[in-house]
Amino acid sequence: MNGVAGAHTGSSGQSLSRVAPTMSATEFLLTEDDHMLITRLRRGEEAAFDSLVAKHHGALIRMAMGFVADREVAEEVTQDTWMTVIQSLDLFEGRSSLRSWIFGILIHKAKDRGMRERRHTVFSALESIDDEGEEAVDPARFHQSGERAGHWAFPPRPWDDQTPEKLLASKQAVAAMRRAIDALPPTLRTVLVLRDMEGVESADVCAMLQITETNLYVRLHRARERVRQAVETYLKDRA
Amino acid sequence: MTQSGEEAASEITCREVAEWTSAYLDACAGDGRNARIVLHLAVCAGCEAYVKHIAFVRRLVGLLPKAPEALADPDGLRGAFVARHRKQ
Ligand SMILES: [Zn+2]
Repeated sequence: MNGVAGAHTGSSGQSLSRVAPTMSATEFLLTEDDHMLITRLRRGEEAAFDSLVAKHHGALIRMAMGFVADREVAEEVTQDTWMTVIQSLDLFEGRSSLRSWIFGILIHKAKDRGMRERRHTVFSALESIDDEGEEAVDPARFHQSGERAGHWAFPPRPWDDQTPEKLLASKQAVAAMRRAIDALPPTLRTVLVLRDMEGVESADVCAMLQITETNLYVRLHRARERVRQAVETYLKDRA
Repeated sequence: MTQSGEEAASEITCREVAEWTSAYLDACAGDGRNARIVLHLAVCAGCEAYVKHIAFVRRLVGLLPKAPEALADPDGLRGAFVARHRKQ
């Protein structure tokens, strides 16, 4: 999260001294695309900035919505994130991907904003460790005792004739899935949006949210299980 | 070491397999647990269906159409970007 911390120290004197004519020690870790993009951004190419915004703006709004009360605030936080990105381009050290750095700035701001709005329920839910006792899958679906304890009493049925593409061809299915995702508590929604919707690597998600890999999979799995239940219900109701 | 499929499968319960499914799909369940899950899946239709469900959900979420989002103040941002460059 180094880049994010740097972006928030906000000393402009420091930022100028960081403008290196050659690659910094860590920038060789960047992908070629990221490296090219950051070079063009630092040169002030507007087209590069436009493509950066086009690529990430939607994802940033979707992320922000998990932290703050309403859409308008999410848009403000995202706009503010882009301002910080512009002002901090020279502080980006390439220790993470450009996307991780930008998302990190957004998460920091969105959490901050959520806290300032005194939305204690959301914020404390985000900060607290999930109640580890609670399992993702309803324990009632398993045998409780005897030789078969811990094995399926009510096993899931295969969705053999289904594919995600087929399911999403129905508007009602899309709406049902969106509702299931929107209903997730922020802790679960955030990991699902980052990992499954935006395709961010697990290690990057952990770094952005400052959580352990174990915690990531606990949350991610709970989120997926709730969406799985929504699919199961949808398929059952339709049958 | 000879071990029947049933015996191998009982080294991990369905409940455990279900809890570790997301980590398993990313090969992050740990070597020992990963091996037990593989053996279990070979003989347990319920868990096989469950793992497939979660893989389905993972793909489904990625494929959900995303609403296009426009900047609230594109000119302001562009202006700031241009101004930043002029300052240097
Ligand atoms: Zn099983």
